[in-house]
Amino acid sequence: MEKSKKYMYDYEQFENGKGPGTMVADILSDPEFSQVSDLVIGCWGESWDDSCQIILDQIVENKEKFSHVKSLFVGDMDYEECEVSWIVQGNYSGLWQALPHLKSLTVKGSSDLVLGEISHPELEALTIICGGLPVSVIQEIQNAKLPNLKKLVLYIGIEDYGFDGSADTIKNFLEKSDFPKLVHLGIEDSEIQDELVQVVLESKYMKQLKILDLSNGTLTDKGGALLLETLPSYPNVGELDVHFHYMTERMVKDLQALPIKVDASERYEPEEYKGEIWMNAMLTE
Amino acid sequence: MRQAAVLGSPGTKRAIYLKKGAEAAGISVRLLDWKEFPFRYTAAWEDLFVKIDPPLWESCCLDELNVLAQDYKKKLQWLAELGKKQQITFLNRPEDISALLDKKGCKIRLAEAGIPVTEELEGSRRADMSSGRNAAAAGTAGMPADRSPAGAGPAEMLLYAMEQHRVFQVFIKPVCGSGAAGTAAFRWLPSSGQMILYTCAIEDPETGRMVNTKRLRRFTDRKQVLSMIGRLLELDCIVERWYAKAEHSGFSYDLRAVVQNGTPDFILARLSSGPITNLHLNNHPLKGEELGLPDRVMEEVEQLCIRAAGCYPELQSAGIDILLEKGSLRPRIIEMNGQGDLIYQDIYDQNRIYLHQAEIMKEWLYKI
Repeated sequence: MEKSKKYMYDYEQFENGKGPGTMVADILSDPEFSQVSDLVIGCWGESWDDSCQIILDQIVENKEKFSHVKSLFVGDMDYEECEVSWIVQGNYSGLWQALPHLKSLTVKGSSDLVLGEISHPELEALTIICGGLPVSVIQEIQNAKLPNLKKLVLYIGIEDYGFDGSADTIKNFLEKSDFPKLVHLGIEDSEIQDELVQVVLESKYMKQLKILDLSNGTLTDKGGALLLETLPSYPNVGELDVHFHYMTERMVKDLQALPIKVDASERYEPEEYKGEIWMNAMLTE
Repeated sequence: MRQAAVLGSPGTKRAIYLKKGAEAAGISVRLLDWKEFPFRYTAAWEDLFVKIDPPLWESCCLDELNVLAQDYKKKLQWLAELGKKQQITFLNRPEDISALLDKKGCKIRLAEAGIPVTEELEGSRRADMSSGRNAAAAGTAGMPADRSPAGAGPAEMLLYAMEQHRVFQVFIKPVCGSGAAGTAAFRWLPSSGQMILYTCAIEDPETGRMVNTKRLRRFTDRKQVLSMIGRLLELDCIVERWYAKAEHSGFSYDLRAVVQNGTPDFILARLSSGPITNLHLNNHPLKGEELGLPDRVMEEVEQLCIRAAGCYPELQSAGIDILLEKGSLRPRIIEMNGQGDLIYQDIYDQNRIYLHQAEIMKEWLYKI
């Protein structure tokens, strides 16, 4: 039976000596673990100071015992536990070979994140949630050999939290990456969301996508108009997610009139301060 | 002849819904208007049962919090003295309402009774250093006073205390505040120097005074954060460890329970997409039972609230804020309020809280 389970430490457990070094042993000693196919790893103690590297290394060391895991989420914690940009991630290089039957990997946090040389014939979904995605990680995904990848969601974020690229970085990424089975693309949580909308709409993946996710960013009517104009040319796209945005009500109505499923919830108004317009992406404020 | 009265403000939800509760219980309740304070004709207050609602405060300037609180305490003192002289019966005695305005004092009393509270960070204020107060009483680990940095300002003192205790996220709350006024959630990463401050307080650009708003903001500029923390700590503040709160549907939440005469009449979850949960901040409220918590957790919360209310035995109606730690769902009392009985989800539904108060009044009215 498929089972999802989250393993995390709270303050008391951390005070009593739990930490990243004890996480894998605790997971393996759980009698339910053999039934857990969806493994979620949350706060590992002082996640802002201690990397999860030892967790990743010990998963690799005990790879046979993790072979039944189909979905892995490392860093599932909210702002109550740790700022996303403060989560100290790790190097995933060894994981690709160690877990050959993994279908889905979700990583939260991009500090110290290294994905390494990605080659995994079975992985179907890759999600990186962060406040700023470094170009180094984008390039690792760009060079990835993921022939079965169907879903890719990348939180782009902002410079302050690690995004050191531009719209051209994403343009290049979409041109050079090769995911023949990709049907769900998320390029989200950006403060240049309108520019990224254009880049995505001009990409080769538009012909194969079923779900387009441009949510959680500073999408305005400029990006909305591009979507309105371009999406009818791609009847393969059946779902558009633009929730958390700065479009006008009029634009929301126009998008919702498209013959596809549209999520345009969480509309925000830009703020004006001393003559300047301020907007922020979801995970940057 | 015995009479029941509410000392409050006409037209407020508290007054309106207590009146509805009284009507349902078949009694009438006089309204004594705070505007009349100090009351000149108190001879008629004999044989009176009084419920005291909070007066209406209009200031949003945080530096006035203490003055307003002190003024209110004086009024409560006046009422306490009158109560003794005229043998007035109170739903909640003015002395208890006054005691609960002091978050620090309440925390100490609860901790002394062995009740888990959100722990205070000792040594974060200059006053802690000089008072030599028994830190263990408030469930904290004290910091030796002689190791405090010489000449440090309040913000530096806080950073020093955080480093000493290895507590890198705290809540800063004015001792006398209410409605999230002046409350701030502060997080610091010493290894990189990064700081984040969540607060509804801002510095008014025109007057330079710290004012409260109803919007939660996030500040990350170190200089600005330290300046704001310094300004907040200049108010009389309590600094507590920031525990990761439980979440429901992607929102973190805490609980507000209303315990009356030993019975938990209502438990409300205050869901929020930010670290500060408060009913004044337009957070999303949910009835406690809708959280789908295991029965043992709700029972533990109820028992804890009953024990906490028991620390103030004369208090017949207590609003109690409870935090459930993320993961373990272990409850801790955040604070108590002698006037924390207004819950919209109740007044617009069964009005159980005010009906219970009316029943308490009725019992007193017909007591032989």
